[in-house]
Amino acid sequence: MPEVMEDIKKSLLTGVSYFVPFIASGGVLLALATAFQPFMAAGADVSASPVLRLICDIGRASFSLMLPVLAGYIAYARAGRPALVAGMVGGQISGTVGAGFLGALVAGLLAGWIVDGLKRVPLPAAVRPVAAILIIPVVSTLIVGALMECVIGAPVATLLGLMGDGLANTSPSDAVILGTVLGAMIAFDMGGPINKTAFFLGSALLGQGNPHAMGAVAAAICVPPLGLGLATKLSRTTWSGKEREAGSAALAMGLIGITEGAIPFAAADPFRVVPTVCFGSAVAGAICMLTGVGDHAPHGGPIVLPVIDRPGMYLLAISTGAVLTALTINLLRRRPPPPSVSAP
Amino acid sequence: MKIIAVTACPTGIAHTYMAAATLSSVGREMGHDVKVETQGAMGIENELRPAEISAADLVIFAADIAIENEARFNGKRVLHVPIREVLKDARKVLTRI
Repeated sequence: MPEVMEDIKKSLLTGVSYFVPFIASGGVLLALATAFQPFMAAGADVSASPVLRLICDIGRASFSLMLPVLAGYIAYARAGRPALVAGMVGGQISGTVGAGFLGALVAGLLAGWIVDGLKRVPLPAAVRPVAAILIIPVVSTLIVGALMECVIGAPVATLLGLMGDGLANTSPSDAVILGTVLGAMIAFDMGGPINKTAFFLGSALLGQGNPHAMGAVAAAICVPPLGLGLATKLSRTTWSGKEREAGSAALAMGLIGITEGAIPFAAADPFRVVPTVCFGSAVAGAICMLTGVGDHAPHGGPIVLPVIDRPGMYLLAISTGAVLTALTINLLRRRPPPPSVSAP
Repeated sequence: MKIIAVTACPTGIAHTYMAAATLSSVGREMGHDVKVETQGAMGIENELRPAEISAADLVIFAADIAIENEARFNGKRVLHVPIREVLKDARKVLTRI
């Protein structure tokens, strides 16, 4: 059973790795186009400017490929090239039936399993060459497509609708909880699977037109490296020369939104560093959700500021999180460390 | 020992390259001949050539996602490890071989 889960995780992460650039180009282009336009009740009005309209159309085109690419590469991770078509078609249908990214995840996994199964069907040598280019793509696409259209699509769409309503109508206290949880997840393993789960949720919701979860994620992403880097600058005696050097690198990585800059610190002293950065990122995430920060790019840190809604609040969230992280870790480090990692 | 490795992580901007750097430096320290291909957000870089693949004694996949063109390594001895283990302790991974 763990192996099955491991396998699903690998497939999903592969899909996400191909899907993120589509969210990035779509989200940023749409944000750019709408940033310069008067906002109407029905959304931004780009009709007055042909250039902005062009940018807007290109961004939409990129978004429209997002679900097929996500589902396609989930299937590809599982069963290779023959699975790409069934996955992509399944993802496309997921979009048309309103099942969104949840449906695309399901379609991709199904397509992978079905193609994997079809590849194992023993075939006479004479038909084998046509299996890869004809039989498997046609049969698997037909099955996945039919399942998405007739069986899975509608319930998943309902589920997604409920989720969307829930997010759109969150009370302030729920929003704070969501921001706290997302922020802590981002910091917990600094780029590992838990971090990626929160990151995927943020970017998937962004693809569904809700940039707020991504806003919380984006602020949380840069808090661990910025906070720890800041800590090494605030209290030089607490940190060794090598750690102060790592601190400068962490600050630079934090600015461009790479949580991994905090890894050297977490690896050296996990029991004090991990809870501290989770706390700092959770605070940043909560502030973002509470103040309605939105992020239109699937990335974090101060570098995405141009596509942030409510940039002032975003910066406030980041600096609060980073300062709290720095003060907390320096306070914790003042006590003598356990003998096994004795400092000079 | 001639070791080749492929590193890949979901985002492909940090872990992939950190693991590649660690594997090369620690491997060299331990006296191995190491070449690492990275499959990050920029696609395949430092690509392993067919001659290098056939000459290698061992292939390491340090990856949390599917490797591109995995068929190149058919028939080789392959060690699969989560990328996190390389970052945590590359020496331990390399002594397992």
